[in-house]
Amino acid sequence: MKFRQSTYWLFLLPCLLAITIVIIYPFLQGVYFSFTEYNGFQITEFVGLSNYRQLLSDQNFLNSLSFTARFSIASIVGINVMGLGLALLVTQKTSKLSTIFRTIYFMPNLIGGIILGFIWQFIYLRAFDGLAQLTGWDFFSGWLADTETGFWGLVILFVWQMSGYIMVIYISFLNNVPQELLEASTIDGANAWQRFMHVKFPLIAPAFTISLFLTLSNAFKVYDQNMALTGGGPFGSTEMVTMNIYNTAFMTRQMGYAQAKAVIFLIIVASLSVIQIYFTRKREVDM
Amino acid sequence: MKRSIKVIVFLLIVLIIAAACGNGTNSGDDVTISIFNIKVETRDQLEEMIATYEDENPGINIELTTVGGGEDAPSALQARFASGEDPNIITLGGLSDVQTYMDYLTDISDMEAAQTAIDGTLEGATIDGTQYGIPLNIEGFGLMINRDIFNQAGVNPDSIESYQDFVDAIETIDTQKEALGLDEVFAFSGAEDWVVSQFSAHFTSAEFNHSVTDAYASQQLNFEYGDRFRDYTDLINTYNIQPILSLDYSTSVEDLFVNERVAIIHQGNWIIPTLIEIDPDFVENKLGILPLFVESDTEGRIAAGPSWFWGVNGQKPEAEIEASKEFLDWMYTSDYGREMIMTDFRYIPAHEGYDQDLIQDEISQDIYRMLLDGETAMWANNQYPDGFFNTVLHPEFQKYLSGSVSWEEFEEIVSNYFSEMR
Repeated sequence: MKFRQSTYWLFLLPCLLAITIVIIYPFLQGVYFSFTEYNGFQITEFVGLSNYRQLLSDQNFLNSLSFTARFSIASIVGINVMGLGLALLVTQKTSKLSTIFRTIYFMPNLIGGIILGFIWQFIYLRAFDGLAQLTGWDFFSGWLADTETGFWGLVILFVWQMSGYIMVIYISFLNNVPQELLEASTIDGANAWQRFMHVKFPLIAPAFTISLFLTLSNAFKVYDQNMALTGGGPFGSTEMVTMNIYNTAFMTRQMGYAQAKAVIFLIIVASLSVIQIYFTRKREVDM
Repeated sequence: MKRSIKVIVFLLIVLIIAAACGNGTNSGDDVTISIFNIKVETRDQLEEMIATYEDENPGINIELTTVGGGEDAPSALQARFASGEDPNIITLGGLSDVQTYMDYLTDISDMEAAQTAIDGTLEGATIDGTQYGIPLNIEGFGLMINRDIFNQAGVNPDSIESYQDFVDAIETIDTQKEALGLDEVFAFSGAEDWVVSQFSAHFTSAEFNHSVTDAYASQQLNFEYGDRFRDYTDLINTYNIQPILSLDYSTSVEDLFVNERVAIIHQGNWIIPTLIEIDPDFVENKLGILPLFVESDTEGRIAAGPSWFWGVNGQKPEAEIEASKEFLDWMYTSDYGREMIMTDFRYIPAHEGYDQDLIQDEISQDIYRMLLDGETAMWANNQYPDGFFNTVLHPEFQKYLSGSVSWEEFEEIVSNYFSEMR
């Protein structure tokens, strides 16, 4: 027994070490830095909670927080509607092309965020501009030049990138819906909409738990797409929290203050995720 | 139990071997120095230079790290220092960089490359009288123009000698836009924080007496020449490609300017290699640079000076410090180095003893000549507080351009932040 226990810990050791070195230690160190005045080289003084107090009156940080929240809501809704919609489309057994479509819809997810950002920047600035000149529609001109189009530009990019991934999750759950239940409901006279709402929908509830969690935490943590597409502009109005934190840390070199922002950000994302999981879990049904 | 001991012993051996491999690369009297370069555009040239130097000096190894793409480089450098892998030679962007790395940097005033530097160019890396950096090169910026379009519109660019002349010229060109095939007169890249930052330098440089030291020491930015700043901004915004806020560098330079769809952009001599790649004839026959009239209506200046410096890390073994200094001296003062700097790097030299005729294009020669005559403004934007230009100046300037704040509010907000961040 003793022998087995020691090998157990021995095998666990590398993993534990790695997690401690890469995650736990830096995390604790980060929390400590948030109580100090730190420029990346030396800690000049221990300031207690003053960084956190400063946060409350930092208009830029609060703006970026509210921008991130709005962005997240719009993209969570967008991604899940799109993802589920695509999943329903490609699980219709009408065409042999559906595998190809699955691959195509999934593909944007294989491209890195930075590259996607630049691709869409090109689309918004050049392609849209071309369309504007061709059609004369105002809708296509001046994208990314104001807050409104910057916001929707980001949402469209992110929805386009993530919905293929979320689609795959919905597909796997949709395929697991037992055929006999669907048949039974058809015999009972349910139409396609009723079948979806009352049979499929409750059965794929676990997929919502996962998808909402993934989209929520990913939407909050978006950085590279933001940086490549708008860089926070115009006038910092599309700056998300992550970018605000990065800028504070590496541009104005206020590491301690940036750490305080990051800690608050972590608390927000973690608690939102926990609340969301709690509520969506309750909706799941057992077969 | 026995087996677990074996496993532990085995693990320990692996660890020891790994550790030994990590340290044991230095053998004999070889000296290895590392260079942290952030000018991506000259990485190949620098590598070639290093290869030549290593051939000439057996026993010296030089490792080059190039990190580019603007803002990531400073954080990458900072990470190298934080992790204890500090390079021997680093690139410094201004006095605040010097201040940050001061504990590491060594006095370079005894180097030949420092003694032959053009008067005043060392100022940008001097704190309390100690010189910490060798200027890489000279870079200059101002209003880059297409002389051909000016001439076609009947305006001789050389006759523009006052602010009013400039305004008249713009208006003349604007009325003939269609005949000249222009979209607009200006293509100012309002989306790029660094373009806005450099543009502001014309006005802040004057306020700081064109002195790098004064700019760095100043606790305040009062917009002494704010009215002229506004005049230029309004003029540009009126005759610029819209939306100005999302106009980026590449559209402005590589599309609109070089394809003669606009007549003026705000840029510097670093765009010349790009322009040559697209259209060599454009640089040779059409490119020109106009000064800005800031302090008085008739005295125009472009901004020019060293924007980057090589710093030598003094917290290293003596042999490495010596080797670093020797390499930099060789790079800037040997005949081979001098030729490479001008022909291959296409730099405007920051050192004396260079053959001016070898400077590759007319604009660069103009900038070099104006700098030697002391007719230039300086890179005041390099002495702004850390993060000031991208987190304050650029967003606020964009707000003014879009009409959401007045000029007075712009000045007030920016001044307040300047003092606060200093």
